[in-house]
Amino acid sequence: MPARASRPGGVVALDLSGLATLGAPRQRSIARFPWHVALLALSISGLGVWNLASASRSSHVEVWAAQATWMAVGLGLALAVVLVDYRLFRRGAWILYGGVVVLLLLVLWKGRMVMGARRWLTFGPVNFQPSELAKIAVILALARWFSTDRESDPRRGPRGLAGIAIPGALVLLPALLVQRQPDLGTALITVAVGATMILFAGVRWKTLAVLGTVVVLAGAAAWPHLKPYQRKRVETFLDPEGDVLGAGYHATQSMIAVGSGQGLGKGWGQGTQTLLSFLPEQHTDFIFSVWAEEHGFAGTLLLLTLYFGLVGSGITIAMNARDRFGQFVAVGCTALLFWHVFVNMGMVTGILPVVGVTLPLMSYGGTSVLVVFTALAMLASVGTRRFVN
Amino acid sequence: MALTPSGARGEGTTRLLWMAGFAGVAFLVLLSRLYHLQVLRGDEYRLRAEENFVKELRVPADRGLVLDRNRKVLVDSRPSYDVVLIPYFCGKGCDEVVSRLATLLSFSFDEEERVREHLRTARGLLRFRPYTVKVDISRDELDVIEANRIELSGAVDVLPTPHRSYRHGVWASHLLGYMNEVGPEELGKLNAEIEKAGGDVQPYQARDFVGRRGLEKRYEKELRGVDGTQRVVVDARGNAMRESDLIPEDQRFEPSYPGNNLVLSLDWRLQEFAEKTFPATAGSVLAMDARTGFILALVDRPAVDPNKLAGRITRAELAEIRADPLQPELFRAIQQHYHPGSTFKVVTAMAALEEGTLRPGGTVYCPGRYTLGGHSWRCDKESGHGYVDLEHALGASCDVFFYSLGDRMGTDKIAKWGSLLGLGKPTGLDLQGEIPGVMPDEAWHDARQPGGHQHGMSLNIAIGQGDVNVTPLQQLVLYGAIATGKVWRPQVVLRIEDPRGEVVKEFAPEVRATLPVKPETREAVMKGLLATVNEPFGTAWGVRIKDVVMAGKTGTAQVVKLGAKRLKASQIPYFQRDHAWFAAFAPADDPEIVVVVLNEHSGFGSSNAAPTAAALVKKWLELQEEDARRREGVQRPAAAPPPAAPAPPPPALPGKAEKPARAGAGLPPGGRRGA
Repeated sequence: MPARASRPGGVVALDLSGLATLGAPRQRSIARFPWHVALLALSISGLGVWNLASASRSSHVEVWAAQATWMAVGLGLALAVVLVDYRLFRRGAWILYGGVVVLLLLVLWKGRMVMGARRWLTFGPVNFQPSELAKIAVILALARWFSTDRESDPRRGPRGLAGIAIPGALVLLPALLVQRQPDLGTALITVAVGATMILFAGVRWKTLAVLGTVVVLAGAAAWPHLKPYQRKRVETFLDPEGDVLGAGYHATQSMIAVGSGQGLGKGWGQGTQTLLSFLPEQHTDFIFSVWAEEHGFAGTLLLLTLYFGLVGSGITIAMNARDRFGQFVAVGCTALLFWHVFVNMGMVTGILPVVGVTLPLMSYGGTSVLVVFTALAMLASVGTRRFVN
Repeated sequence: MALTPSGARGEGTTRLLWMAGFAGVAFLVLLSRLYHLQVLRGDEYRLRAEENFVKELRVPADRGLVLDRNRKVLVDSRPSYDVVLIPYFCGKGCDEVVSRLATLLSFSFDEEERVREHLRTARGLLRFRPYTVKVDISRDELDVIEANRIELSGAVDVLPTPHRSYRHGVWASHLLGYMNEVGPEELGKLNAEIEKAGGDVQPYQARDFVGRRGLEKRYEKELRGVDGTQRVVVDARGNAMRESDLIPEDQRFEPSYPGNNLVLSLDWRLQEFAEKTFPATAGSVLAMDARTGFILALVDRPAVDPNKLAGRITRAELAEIRADPLQPELFRAIQQHYHPGSTFKVVTAMAALEEGTLRPGGTVYCPGRYTLGGHSWRCDKESGHGYVDLEHALGASCDVFFYSLGDRMGTDKIAKWGSLLGLGKPTGLDLQGEIPGVMPDEAWHDARQPGGHQHGMSLNIAIGQGDVNVTPLQQLVLYGAIATGKVWRPQVVLRIEDPRGEVVKEFAPEVRATLPVKPETREAVMKGLLATVNEPFGTAWGVRIKDVVMAGKTGTAQVVKLGAKRLKASQIPYFQRDHAWFAAFAPADDPEIVVVVLNEHSGFGSSNAAPTAAALVKKWLELQEEDARRREGVQRPAAAPPPAAPAPPPPALPGKAEKPARAGAGLPPGGRRGA
């Protein structure tokens, strides 16, 4: 784990955290700030803006400038989040959760219709997607729940069905609301993040087996209720070349873009798939194929390493977290990052079906940038306050 | 504030390590997938990316020209525009786009239905292919389309497509042929043939035009040329990108090569004269160079304008053509049977002389009828011709004389000489669809008719009725053989030239057989043919030409069995009227030109076919003189002398020199002067 090597004192610090008291001296906090997380995040952001500048050549829209602006805003937000002691979020967790559920209901009722889905709320000049905020709300709510419930007593052992019923419901309520929009990608990520946190809290093997069976059966039962385009995507995933001009178009063109990058890539601004708009959604969900086409295997290896560094750092921060709430927040934020990266890259390279999931810090989109920066800031906040003498 | 008990931390750390392991594996999966796509299969995907954006546009080759012997352009290509629709690009809006197009281009109901039908039925890749909505739009229509480009959406495109221009419409159109668009099934068949034949012949593509009939079909390969290629970069929507150097400079354009040109033996001045002189609704006028067998003029009526057949014709018009009882699509000169009538009497005469049935100078008494076994055959002159010899019998066209020869000689002997003169088999003109005609012998009748051959049949055959059937071209070859003693293979293409004018292939005159007859026989027959035109009793006395001695024979081919009463042509329904024939050559002592005229359902040969033939002969000789004069005047060879060195023109009479130019029935001086 690369992040760990840079901080040899980590394990020792963890042992001392049992003696934690509130309010660390400020200068010590700055010293403990996980600079590597910031460095990794800013590196990826930089590459992201640079990559967007290439991806937007064909449409002649200065997407990268807008993205850079969003990143500046995100950076400000992140700074604010880091400065606030994360334990404050613990108090606000239920309020945020409640607010997000209300907003999600509002979206279904009054949301703006874009391409067959209601995902946006408009407040004056600002458009935003409550579903993105839902991910943060679920992380905080679950962290709050797991930090206080009775089952947390380690002597009780892993949880049974009763122990995960309420957290499960906490995840499923917003996920189902998001799925109603419909936004399968965000719903899936929300569920994946929630599931990761629940698993981290500890679940009995028997319970897992039962749940697994139920999920498979439910999936089979839900199949007829999926939207035709969603079903088509799964079918296409199973046989992407079966319908090259239709539903398989995304997957096929994306794989062509990635593969044609070869070892070293075509060079910045030289990607033909990008330039000639063969890539659908090339600014957002398929941004990774632009990167892969222009920078080749070397470029994708670099990006993968950066993301892995970020995920690894997140896990280390979770290990060294001072309290249970912080640990769950760190796990949740890391899971959010990981699932986004994995599902997105899996989709672009054709090993997962096409679902609308962005690549953190690379994909264009204000809400996405703000949410990712917030998650990273919470992670950093936990990392900064990892121990107090 | 519940602080984490240290025991749980241990548990938590284990789970975090599990998660780290999971994340590690997940990233390794992604990495190996990327390695697979980019490193292992990178080359393949690089190629596919290139196929994505390189669009090959065809640069259509100019099809070869068709020229007459003086290099006058008969068929060429002119720039024009076709409107195409790509159904995929308009999707659900197609209906509206079609309605819009229908208004702008004023479609007929048929045309609009055809397009809608295609929209309904086209599936899969067909939806991406441009579908020709209208060919060859006018300049005004092009402007209208351009002005409404936005409303018509990206699905409508106007493609520059060179179209064949048959400069003289229906004239000689059966010979020239026509072209139209290749069909989807036919395309596969054509390309399979090309592949089987090997070589580097370009395959055909959808929307290509191919030669359908006549010379366009026969010389498709030579005329076609080689298409070039333009490679452009396109984006995902198929739009061409202008400023893109994704394709190396030297691969962007491969020029097309024009097809070869055909130089025909037709003299368009003569053709034009014949077209204007020939009064018939249906029929043929053929003129051949007696010294080479090359065709000089070929009128064939009725005909359909090949410019129309090249895609501009509507279904209704096509149905009308198909339903026309005159069968305008039939190339009569080589595809229709006719009784030769009296023109056949030369064959009977030759046979009789050679077989010894007729002594030189032998006579027959004609009382106006010939009786055999209780049946009576009637002569064309009811009162009879009295005692006639061969000269008189041919000249006045006495039937009884030839009934008598047929009676004495029998069918087989006539058939033998008919075959020697080229009847009963194709003449060998290098065009598709020539029929062989019928020269029946006894075996032929035995095989085909109930009761087999009857002796009386030879009487009918002797005067060119019965089951003798010839095409007008066979008549031409036959009279050419009588004129020169050679059975020519009629040809119409002098040479094939490449676009720079270099000769690729030159066609030499070809003699298929020589007539094995005694000189006396030929002389005797010739005397009869001369009498036809040059003696007052001759059937064509009225059309004799001053200064030139023409030999010929009239014919009136019976279409239906003669009734009891003799009727005038105007009193008989059109399709029951006789066909009029006239076959001639001139000058008689050294024939230069052979002419055959067939005027369908017009009555007598002397009045309805002979005048055209005579005018044509006269015109030809005038043209020859005119050319000779020009050659002398210019002191260098004219643009394109006929391939065989022309015989010296008949001695020009003083004072005649100025006249002929104006004598052409008020026609403009013929053709284009050579360079």
